[in-house]
Amino acid sequence: MKTKNIFQAYKQAPWRLQLQWIGLFLLVLVGVAAIAGVYLSLSGKAAVTGRRIQNLEFQASALELEVNDLASQLAYASSARVMSERANKLNMSLRDPADALYLEVPGYTADSFRLAPAAAADTSTSSSILPEFTASLWDWLIDKLAQMPGSNTNTPEARP
Amino acid sequence: MNQISWSRYLLIFVIFIFVAVGVGARMVNIQNIPAAQTILENSKKLVGVTQTIVPERGSIYDAQGRLLAGNETVYELGLDLRSIEQPETIASVVSSVLGLDYNTILEYAKTKAVEDKKLYIVLDSFVSKEKINQLALIEEEYAHRVVGKNEIKPNLQGLIWTPYNKRSYPEGDMGANILGFYSFLDRVDGKGYYGVEEAYNSLLAGTPKQVYTPFDPQKITSVDDIPPGASLVLTFDREIQAMVEQQLAEAIEWSGAESGTILVYNPEDGGIIAMATTPRMDPNYYWTQADVFPGSTPFNRPISETYEPGSVFKVITMASALDAGAVKPDTVFTDTGSIMVGGTTITNWNYGAWGEQDMTGCMQHSLNVCLTWIATQLGAEKFYTYLKNFGFDRNTGIDLGGESHWPLKLPGDNQWYEVDLATNSFGQGISVTPIQMVMAIGAVANEGRMMAPHVVKAIVIDGHQYDINPVIVGNPIKAETAKALTSMLVTSLEEESSVALVDGYTVAGKTGTAEIPTPFGYTSSVTNVSFVGWGPAEDPKFLVYVWLEKPTISIWGSEVAAPVFSKVVQHLVVLMEIPPDQIRLRASAEDR
Repeated sequence: MKTKNIFQAYKQAPWRLQLQWIGLFLLVLVGVAAIAGVYLSLSGKAAVTGRRIQNLEFQASALELEVNDLASQLAYASSARVMSERANKLNMSLRDPADALYLEVPGYTADSFRLAPAAAADTSTSSSILPEFTASLWDWLIDKLAQMPGSNTNTPEARP
Repeated sequence: MNQISWSRYLLIFVIFIFVAVGVGARMVNIQNIPAAQTILENSKKLVGVTQTIVPERGSIYDAQGRLLAGNETVYELGLDLRSIEQPETIASVVSSVLGLDYNTILEYAKTKAVEDKKLYIVLDSFVSKEKINQLALIEEEYAHRVVGKNEIKPNLQGLIWTPYNKRSYPEGDMGANILGFYSFLDRVDGKGYYGVEEAYNSLLAGTPKQVYTPFDPQKITSVDDIPPGASLVLTFDREIQAMVEQQLAEAIEWSGAESGTILVYNPEDGGIIAMATTPRMDPNYYWTQADVFPGSTPFNRPISETYEPGSVFKVITMASALDAGAVKPDTVFTDTGSIMVGGTTITNWNYGAWGEQDMTGCMQHSLNVCLTWIATQLGAEKFYTYLKNFGFDRNTGIDLGGESHWPLKLPGDNQWYEVDLATNSFGQGISVTPIQMVMAIGAVANEGRMMAPHVVKAIVIDGHQYDINPVIVGNPIKAETAKALTSMLVTSLEEESSVALVDGYTVAGKTGTAEIPTPFGYTSSVTNVSFVGWGPAEDPKFLVYVWLEKPTISIWGSEVAAPVFSKVVQHLVVLMEIPPDQIRLRASAEDR
């Protein structure tokens, strides 16, 4: 009996309790709505980006086809037969080999054609992404500690 | 809470448990019924598509980087049956632009789409860009057309065109025997035939890759790059090839020969600088192969057709004998006009006796009797060992599809007779391919080092060029022997005042006239004429091999093949930028 009275003394008014519950519910609702909004926004962006990637890949494929096609067209336009016909139209004639004039150019060496750099010449094995973007937090911390003044991580110099 | 409430909660809990267990059991059951697999497979079609991406075929370039085989864009024209609105408009436009049958297209365009079975119909393949541009213009014109109230705006909805690569050969038939061809009409199983297209088919084709593309745009990620097939840089030079082909065509017309072959080879590294032959086919129209090469006509004579070379083979015999010490350049042979070997009398080409001749004289006058004597001095065992060392018992291994060789008859074989030693010594009774001759005689030009003939100089994979290093396949003779023989052949050409000589350049060479074997014996009225020569003699940069089959203007190599060699070399030295001896030797003396 005594306990019941104590509860009654501190009990909130029913309308206050209702307000609290409504407030709590609205808080949860707003929270859920906010999370859903963020999710929708991000997923929307992801979808748009996905489609963009797809479109860019289609464009890249189309451009590759075009590049190949243009290279072929250029090759057709400058083929031996076409060039010979063009030379004939311009009243050019094949020079008599006996008339060839040879000049010595000191230090000149004809470069041989290369379609691409030699495999051995490519020594750039390091990533183009800076280590700041790839190192773990732990690596970063160790690195910073090592760079602090007074730290003795340098290799000792060889002495006689 | 009283007891009734607890029991109610317990009852509800138990019911939920039963329902959950039931649902779970049913799920397991559904996943294991036979139809589940079908449902699973069908569902995959709804979430994404897996495609096999075939990489673009690698290109082929000449030594100076000019495109010889590449890819051009063509289109597949098709109907998306679900989107067609005006079948008559499509049929009318397509038939007028592409010249296809109106009624057939109309029938296709009116076909009802059947989900998962018939959604797309191919109308035409390999449609040119120009035709597609015409269709695109018409489509655009329809889109902007202003129509009256009761008129229907025309459209080509449902007509779609998809671009893809088609193999193209910009130089047409030039060098086609080296390139081979790719069967591009077969878009699924196309592959390379003959030439480098066959020999390097796997590298050129690249590796097809399966790529999964989800329909859910959120799951789309960038597709891994699919590298194109490897590209090839060849040793042969387009300008030299064009010149050699022109010279060959002129030579065939002038001499009345049935066919011809001219090979230009770099004896220092084994690279093929030019390889002209007849007939040739434009690989852009490879389906004409049966018409261009009737019967057993080979695609590439220099590597596939064997023939008895005649006296050009004396270079090999003399090289072997000099190297083995059987004779020396100043050894004197008294030619009586005939020699008996294995019961058969061997005579000279003019049936004459040439008296005392040193080895240079034997080569200069191309004396069969002398060379037979040399072969007997050398002995059959050594002679054939040298022939094997020169590579006449096998393919050269040139990196072109379709190489073959004639088996070398050796002492002890059923088909070998003693007289073969004699006839083989002057290039009869033995069949070789021009590429075998070029490789073997290249050793004489290159101080005894025999280089593997090849046409690919470098391979480009993933943006990096891998140069192919020259390969020495043997040292059949010593350097001193090679130099001595080269000197002898220079002298023999000069003393003979041969029409093979080239003003300003020292060249070594040998003619060849070979009788042709028939089912009724050898025929003298029609011959194979050849010439092999190299220069500049002191530092050879090229070796030229000429073979004309059955010329009608003359039967002699010295009259038909030798002048062709001279004309080729006159142009070759300009294109290869080789100055005349006088200028070159002076420059090198100043350098020293």
